[in-house]
Amino acid sequence: MDSAHDHSHSSHDDHDHPIDLAKSIRTYLKVGITLIAFTFITVFVAYKVDLGDKHLNIALGLIIAAFKVSLVGLIFMHLKHERGLIYKTLLFAFIFFAGMMFLFCLAYMDPIANSFLKP
Amino acid sequence: MQIPHEVTANPETGLYNAKVGIWLFLASEVMLFGGLFSSYVFLRLGADFPWPFHELKVLPGFINTMVLIASSVSVVTAWAALKARRYGWYQVNMVFTLLCAVAFMGIKTYEYYHKFVHYTVHFTDHSVISGHPVHESAEHHGDRIAFAAEAITLDLEKSNLEFLAGRRENKGGKEPYADPGDSPLKVTLPDTINAETKAVTPGETIDLTESWFKQKHRAFMDAKTELRKTVTDLELQKPRITPHDDAAAKAEKEEKIAAINDSIKAANDAFDAKGKEHNLTPTLKLTLAKGGDGKVIPVPFLAKERSVIKYGAAELNYRENTLLSGKLITDAIQFNVDIVDLRSTRDPEKSLVWKHLGSELKTRFLKYRDDKIAEFHEHRPKVANPEQDEDCRREAFRVEFADNDGKFMSEEEAHKFLHEPEHTISIPRSEKLFYSNFSPSLSPYYAIYFLMTGLHGLHVVGGAIVLAWFLFTGRKMYLRNPEHLANRVEVGGLFWHFVDLVWIFLFPLYYLM
Repeated sequence: MDSAHDHSHSSHDDHDHPIDLAKSIRTYLKVGITLIAFTFITVFVAYKVDLGDKHLNIALGLIIAAFKVSLVGLIFMHLKHERGLIYKTLLFAFIFFAGMMFLFCLAYMDPIANSFLKP
Repeated sequence: MQIPHEVTANPETGLYNAKVGIWLFLASEVMLFGGLFSSYVFLRLGADFPWPFHELKVLPGFINTMVLIASSVSVVTAWAALKARRYGWYQVNMVFTLLCAVAFMGIKTYEYYHKFVHYTVHFTDHSVISGHPVHESAEHHGDRIAFAAEAITLDLEKSNLEFLAGRRENKGGKEPYADPGDSPLKVTLPDTINAETKAVTPGETIDLTESWFKQKHRAFMDAKTELRKTVTDLELQKPRITPHDDAAAKAEKEEKIAAINDSIKAANDAFDAKGKEHNLTPTLKLTLAKGGDGKVIPVPFLAKERSVIKYGAAELNYRENTLLSGKLITDAIQFNVDIVDLRSTRDPEKSLVWKHLGSELKTRFLKYRDDKIAEFHEHRPKVANPEQDEDCRREAFRVEFADNDGKFMSEEEAHKFLHEPEHTISIPRSEKLFYSNFSPSLSPYYAIYFLMTGLHGLHVVGGAIVLAWFLFTGRKMYLRNPEHLANRVEVGGLFWHFVDLVWIFLFPLYYLM
């Protein structure tokens, strides 16, 4: 993981600074293998583990997916050591997404609409 | 013009400009896919039908996940190789990434293809079967409406002879729907009536071809245009009666109007007479060839349901306004069943599907259902009535004969077994509520599935094109300024990781949950 740290710094601090390729490949392979392992776990959880309620299985599947996404973002996309400007940009996007979900929640919990939809 | 800060960091942002650009773009992409993911949740929770669960084949999606993860590793390694000034390694990793993109799209195409060739029938009692309509052939009418035509009424204005594509030839025995090949359809035109002498000439027998129809259509439209022009000219000559007209002027105008009306009627009569003389009437009834006994030999037609407006026992009306008269052979859909889904019926054994299933499939269904209910009861003993539990019904009342972990038989054996002629069922269209392949029109689930995976696929293609551009044209830039190429690959790589990131959510949402 440290090599990724080094790379991201080199990308905006010192662009001509060479990096240790072997170390980088090791880091990326480790992350790749972790992602593959968690893909297996996701499938296993979906098909072979009965948590008593399918919603629990869905929640667990999404938590694993979120973990995998965070690995891709932090290591492969170098977000772990990125500039604040990028975090701010992404923050606005996530606020938009949260707003979309909030609108959906409002619609889903709307008692008037539900009285028509659900007898 | 030199673009500033392509290699070095912009002092205002601390980043080179392309990186700021790609992150702004990715933020907009987060909003785009975020909107689609929230739509998915909205559709799923608001669905008034059993949301498909574990219905997509996991293996292709699983392999694609592996492929995208591998490509993410290789694209970031390609960037690291450039930073380490190892151009050869960069090339190897980029080629691998592109091969992954090709593999991903290949698997996706395979998945899409299978969705388009598999169909589902929703019965009026909400029981459902999925599988394949029997291929239309010399022996089978497949999912078409089979009609034996004795006469064809063409609309000279609107018909386009597309219905002829469904024409077949009854060769008797096992070939009631044989392909007629290139042999044209022989039809007899209506008798013509001479406009002056009123002498009747028997209609001639012609080959019903597109060129003949085009000629007839053009002649009819020319005659109709001429009539319209004449009538319009005459209408324009009609004087206007105003409140200021005195009685004499009004009478004179009315006389003129009556004369013009007579001229219009005469023009219309002439048009009709000419039409009867040259077979240029708005509709043209063509009779088919007669046999030695003087009776018409019916010609079978197989019509797609969507090309037909309405049909009955004696008539079939195409959307293009051609009317076939004769006898309906059958409107049943010949179908090979792969999956039976009786979740939405109160009593499976009284469902419409049940009466069509063969005894062997019924036995397999019941055994599978009972096994699954017992299994469910074992896992969740607290559920008092498993048959009413949604999760249990989903597992026990939807039986995929060809894919149950080899429970019944291997997938290959099952397909062979299910596609044997004796297992083909015939579904009357009156029992059908909805018939579709697994395309976006089937349900909101498939609509959002195709929208999201299709959009994601377009991103894969776009990303692969950009990365291929860097691979095949990057050498010059590398020799001039390797850091510049490294920055470009980093930006392309960021997009590629985003594509991977979206798939990491798409895979469990569609294939596992």
